[in-house]
Amino acid sequence: MIVLRILLTLIEIAVVLALPPMLISVILKTKAWFAGRDGPPWLQTYYELYKLIQKGVIYSHTTTWVFRAGPVVSLAALLTAATLIPVLSGWSWLVGFQGDLILVAYLFALGRMFTVLAAMDTGSSFEGMGAAREVTFGMMSEPALFLSLAVMAIATRSISLSQMFGPGMWIAWGSVGPAMLLVVGALLVVLLTECSRIPVDDPATHLELTMIHEVMVLDHSGPELAFIQYGAALKFLLLGSILLHVAIPLPGETWAYVVGPVIRLASLLGLAVVVGVIESGMARLRLNRVPLLLAGATVLSGLAVLLVLAKQ
Amino acid sequence: MLLLTSLGVLLAGMIFAVILIRVPRAGLFAAMAAIVVASVLCLIASGQVLLGGGGMASRVLSWPLPLGTATLAIDGLSAWFLVSISLLSIAVAVYSSGYMRGEIGHAAVPAFSALLCLLVASLIVLVCAGDVILFLIAWEMMTMTAFLLVNFHDQQDEVRHGAWMYLIATHLGTALFVLPMFAILVWQGGTQFAGFAAMLRSAEPRLWVVLFVLGLLGFGTKAGFMPMHVWLPNAHPVAPTPVSALLSGIVVKMGIYGLLRLLSWLPPLPIGCVALMLAMGIVSGVLGVLYALAQHDLKRLLAYHTVENIGIIGVGIGIGMLGQTMGYPLVAALGYAGALLHVLNHAMFKGLLFLSAGAVIQSVGTGQMDRLGGLAKKMPINAGLFLVAAVSICGLPPFNGFVSEWMIYGGLFSGATHWGASAAALSVMGLVSLAAMGGLALACFAKAFSVVFLGEPREPLGCLPPMSHLMTGAMMIPAILCIGIGVLPIVVVPLVAMATSSMVTLPTQQFGQALEMGMKLGAALTVFAVVFGVIVGALLLVRRKAGVAAALDTAPVLQPGPRATWGCGYTYPSSRIQYTSSSFAWSLVMNFRRLLWPAVHFNPPAGYFPAPGELATHTADVAEHDLFAPIFRGVAHLVQMFKTFSWSGEVPAFSSPRHGRVGPFRAVLEGFLAAVRRGNIQVRLTHIVVTLVVVFAVEFAMTHRSAVKRDASSPKIEKVTPKAEAGSLTSESMTTAMNTKGLKTMERSRP
Repeated sequence: MIVLRILLTLIEIAVVLALPPMLISVILKTKAWFAGRDGPPWLQTYYELYKLIQKGVIYSHTTTWVFRAGPVVSLAALLTAATLIPVLSGWSWLVGFQGDLILVAYLFALGRMFTVLAAMDTGSSFEGMGAAREVTFGMMSEPALFLSLAVMAIATRSISLSQMFGPGMWIAWGSVGPAMLLVVGALLVVLLTECSRIPVDDPATHLELTMIHEVMVLDHSGPELAFIQYGAALKFLLLGSILLHVAIPLPGETWAYVVGPVIRLASLLGLAVVVGVIESGMARLRLNRVPLLLAGATVLSGLAVLLVLAKQ
Repeated sequence: MLLLTSLGVLLAGMIFAVILIRVPRAGLFAAMAAIVVASVLCLIASGQVLLGGGGMASRVLSWPLPLGTATLAIDGLSAWFLVSISLLSIAVAVYSSGYMRGEIGHAAVPAFSALLCLLVASLIVLVCAGDVILFLIAWEMMTMTAFLLVNFHDQQDEVRHGAWMYLIATHLGTALFVLPMFAILVWQGGTQFAGFAAMLRSAEPRLWVVLFVLGLLGFGTKAGFMPMHVWLPNAHPVAPTPVSALLSGIVVKMGIYGLLRLLSWLPPLPIGCVALMLAMGIVSGVLGVLYALAQHDLKRLLAYHTVENIGIIGVGIGIGMLGQTMGYPLVAALGYAGALLHVLNHAMFKGLLFLSAGAVIQSVGTGQMDRLGGLAKKMPINAGLFLVAAVSICGLPPFNGFVSEWMIYGGLFSGATHWGASAAALSVMGLVSLAAMGGLALACFAKAFSVVFLGEPREPLGCLPPMSHLMTGAMMIPAILCIGIGVLPIVVVPLVAMATSSMVTLPTQQFGQALEMGMKLGAALTVFAVVFGVIVGALLLVRRKAGVAAALDTAPVLQPGPRATWGCGYTYPSSRIQYTSSSFAWSLVMNFRRLLWPAVHFNPPAGYFPAPGELATHTADVAEHDLFAPIFRGVAHLVQMFKTFSWSGEVPAFSSPRHGRVGPFRAVLEGFLAAVRRGNIQVRLTHIVVTLVVVFAVEFAMTHRSAVKRDASSPKIEKVTPKAEAGSLTSESMTTAMNTKGLKTMERSRP
């Protein structure tokens, strides 16, 4: 069992490090399929990262060390969070502890802080605009995220991610299924917001005025841009894993070893397809509509809290 | 003994400052050295208590005070506050000896030195006072010295205004709430603190509630809970920088100390009191950070942010009280420990922020953020220090703010998972508001740091004088502690546990459990800080290996042309097109405009040959202008009516709301009337619904009252159901609490 567990952990580390760009490829392929195109090759995202790593960096003379620290700190925060979030199996790689979900949420915030600071460091008004939007929407998705975490904590009676995503989740669906359904909806909105996807932000837009995430990283180049793009994909994988552990609970410990990881891997790719379908099916919301969407997510998760508490 | 020595040292420092009035520089150094020495002595004294198993060191002084003898005593709680006072005082004293040198010749520096000694001395006496009279003397001494210190630049109008507001607000709080509270205590059980706990345990529960509400309002005025915070953003920014740091970092915490001291005597309180405490914490936290976000002045922003942090501490205390009430000591321990640790942490990072902002203001000459920018290149060390404090205050790992916020979150989450609906709902509300505060604090400090230090200067800066080494050195102390507590929380966890255990009596097993949880967290945070550091190192290595053009890295920084920021095709950018503090915060401020009521003066360029347009925004404090200003105007009118004699014949002028500002009450009324005039169908429907609800409520009240009258066994019961989640628990004590607070209570009708 121990050997299996170590083996699985190694596989999981490899997958977490290697899979993120593939998820972006899947989204792009899905969108291309809807548009009747072939789309870029499956490995295009990897080629692009490789190309960027090879390149040199240009720094604007307005910038300071904060600009250089931005991408590094952001990616490091995400990678640290990756050691805590169960992706394929149901446990954290390193050490799970009581209350690690708070550390995860705040590590995401740390990444956001430094991305925003790096954007403001360029002195560009467009990047300032993106930064202002990022903190606004980031702040508004925070209550929805924490309410969802609270629902999961109350339903599974635990405050560490690895316990939460164990068999407790299966039982929670049995007792308070509707609440968990609402949480899945809220978490999907949080995922789309945090990862800057349609309907909150359009990663493929060409007009700086309408961008959020892309406009913040306009001035980054070379390996630092690679860090940012890889980080965005990793964030999708991590938040997606949280969402999927809630959405697809597994009964019992034994499932976690063979069937579980396969289901998790397949469902991650499936989630990328879903996001691709959403992006093909609708346009980006007007920016003043986004707060309503996020308030909606907060209300959904708040309702879930009420349902869970009423059940007690 | 150490305590008395340190007080003696401070007295000597004060005397030196006064004797050396002709040589202000020597007097300043003598006084500041005295503060440092006294603080170190206090640190040793409190270390003995915290490390030595919390044994109480008390010393009865045989001073004939009006109602008894003066007692100095250090228990865990005093020791913890003493640590915060000493650490920040050392930093402030060292900083002052560099900062105030610039003021010699312009202002009364000897008075400053003497008063600072006196303030630190009164703070030390305050937290170590073991009886009511000494406590009140120290309390008053602290208020008066702080008032005089705030009023340092008294030739400026706004300084005098802020200082007066501080004096009036604190004295109203003391006279109306703190004195009655102590009067009740003294009347019931003498002047010694030691006897209060036993006395209150046998007292009526109604008395507990009265005492708690009085204490919350009185000490809350000092701490700056909303809506009693109005003096804080007016007084703190106008004080000289070292004083601002001390005021925001420590002096407001004395309100928290008073509240915790009171709670340490009180048995577990009814849930209504807990709800009140949590509501105050939540309102202060969320509104405090929203107001901070809307500010244009750096020190004013920091002052509002103090209100937010007091709110976080309030949520921590609230969850601690909830843990006591629900009989779950683990949550109580986590909540109180989080609140206590946040007291220390906030002293460190807010002190650092004020000191760093003061260095900026001293060298550039303004704290208006929209006129600053690009300072990271001019003062890199100061920028780094400000960033450390900013990241800490946002509660981000691996800095100290995260540790204390984690403890409070831990309490809230554990509470939510263990309790039934009403208590769990309170926890969840705390949880959500803490999350919102976190997000808003991030926005606020991303704005403050980036507008002041990053980008290009918005106005030409010229050559800035170098920062004094004393100032830089002083700022290193809190900065190192911010990082140290964040990376190695395992060192402070046992200390804060000791302080907590002196406040709430916990069963040994539960205490051990809480301590173990804290230690595990501490260890885990260290592990993750190391992991984070390793990953950052690895990424830096990747960047270097991948060949960041080394030539570019070392090229002269100020090269024109190809290395300008990409302007999206616009080739003639100026530094004025950068986002400013107002524009950065604008989308958030507008999304919360129904809470903040910002005033906008917009005069857009219009027509074919437009004249220059203008846009000005201003966010005035709703509590100040729409709650207290009308009350005080009313009082003034009343006084005028009865006034038959005047010394000067002057009619006092009161600050009236700025022209063009529409307050919430007027706006709601006007909006409603306008909608009625337009014949809006929704408004008509709302009208009908409201009327029906009122009718039902009256009907319900009438029938219920007659039912009660018929029931002779219960003479009179107030039927008031508070709006909070705790609706099901209508204990009479809670009703009293809610009514005294003046919360709008609502009668609910159930068909």
